[in-house]
Amino acid sequence: MNVQNELGNLSINGLGSSSGGNFDSVVINGKGTVNGDIDCHSFSCNGAGTVNGAVKAEKMKINGSAKITGKIYATTLSVDGRGSFKGDVYSDKMSISGSGSIGGNVKGEELKIQGRIGVEGNCEVEHFKSEGQFSIGGLLSAENIVIRTYGECKAKEIGGQTIIVKQETSFFLDILKTVKSVKLAADVIEGDDISLENTKAKVVRGNHIIIGENCDIDLVEYKDTFKIIGNGRVNKSVQL
Amino acid sequence: MSNELISKKDLLDLTGISYGQLYRWKRKNLIPEDWFIRKSTFTGQETFFPKEKILERIDKIQTMKENLSLDELADMFSPSAGEFKLSVDELLKRNIVSKPVLDFYLSETKSITDFAFENLLHLFILEKLLQSGEINLDEGKMLLQVLSDYKDDAKQSSVLFFIRKLGISSCLILSSTANIFFEKGTKVVVQISISECTEELKTKLI
Repeated sequence: MNVQNELGNLSINGLGSSSGGNFDSVVINGKGTVNGDIDCHSFSCNGAGTVNGAVKAEKMKINGSAKITGKIYATTLSVDGRGSFKGDVYSDKMSISGSGSIGGNVKGEELKIQGRIGVEGNCEVEHFKSEGQFSIGGLLSAENIVIRTYGECKAKEIGGQTIIVKQETSFFLDILKTVKSVKLAADVIEGDDISLENTKAKVVRGNHIIIGENCDIDLVEYKDTFKIIGNGRVNKSVQL
Repeated sequence: MSNELISKKDLLDLTGISYGQLYRWKRKNLIPEDWFIRKSTFTGQETFFPKEKILERIDKIQTMKENLSLDELADMFSPSAGEFKLSVDELLKRNIVSKPVLDFYLSETKSITDFAFENLLHLFILEKLLQSGEINLDEGKMLLQVLSDYKDDAKQSSVLFFIRKLGISSCLILSSTANIFFEKGTKVVVQISISECTEELKTKLI
């Protein structure tokens, strides 16, 4: 066990625990537990870290596996390993290349997904970009939403200015499709400009709507323009 | 306040705003989460809003967004106070409160020189009710008492009631939007929402 508390740094190499506080940098390399809130400049977890409390950091990086029970406020947050966050997450710039599961809501400016993310509450950012898998229990809302369907994508509701969903095709994905659904599924999709591919939704509402390949939509309500491309299937469409 | 609801579709039609704008404003907390009321209809789920409140809010946003950024607007609508202090001179200069009411307030509370938002809000409500002649000075004392005793509970959607029966007055704070029923002879002198006062005060401060 090696807990240093010099110059306001906390580093746990090996097995150790701390009670939280204010630090310049926090590094967990072994198996570390922090009981209490952390307020720091940079937080990185390379081993297995548990924080029983909230984390506030400018830079937060998770390469190993981290479990955090409180809220997270991070200017930048990147998860390359596994992050399991029980509370809300606020981050200006968030990127998930590994796996992230969030028990509360996500709020911020930018969210990039290359791995997979599960959010139980709402996900509200300005720019949402996904090239992986996601499952959002509540509302996904963003100014710009760009989704490439590499995996199973799910959200209860989607709303924003521009919503673009693009289908990915590759040999591997075609095989995967036979055993698992590789699609975007949502109850409601609402936006100003919507262009969908490979999507299953009950209702799509917007000003300009394009329904493309492999779509299955029950109802489309549009204001200005509506177009179906390829084998997109729409049960009913209404102009408002 | 009426409990009439408006569907999202009708709202967009009526106000001319787009889905993008509505979601943007929601993200910026200009429209509170609990105004989004989800109900199932024959087309699946639809979202409804309290009609009067949402129309008023959207009108405010539309008229004010020319001069203020969305973040400044969000600050204004947020029920939390933000950090600032105002001196006594500043208060009078900005015409937020009149001299007699201020003197009364200072004599009732320990004389403070810098007003935090919370003090200001209490003062503002006091000024409002005293100036309108709805309550007298003694009742003003009671009002301040209630406001300062329950300042932590009296936030977001609280409503302040001032009632009178057979010349005896009382005052209470209702912290949620439940219905409240009074005995027959009771006169409700004042009923004001604290969050509306907060907003009103914030517009004056900007």
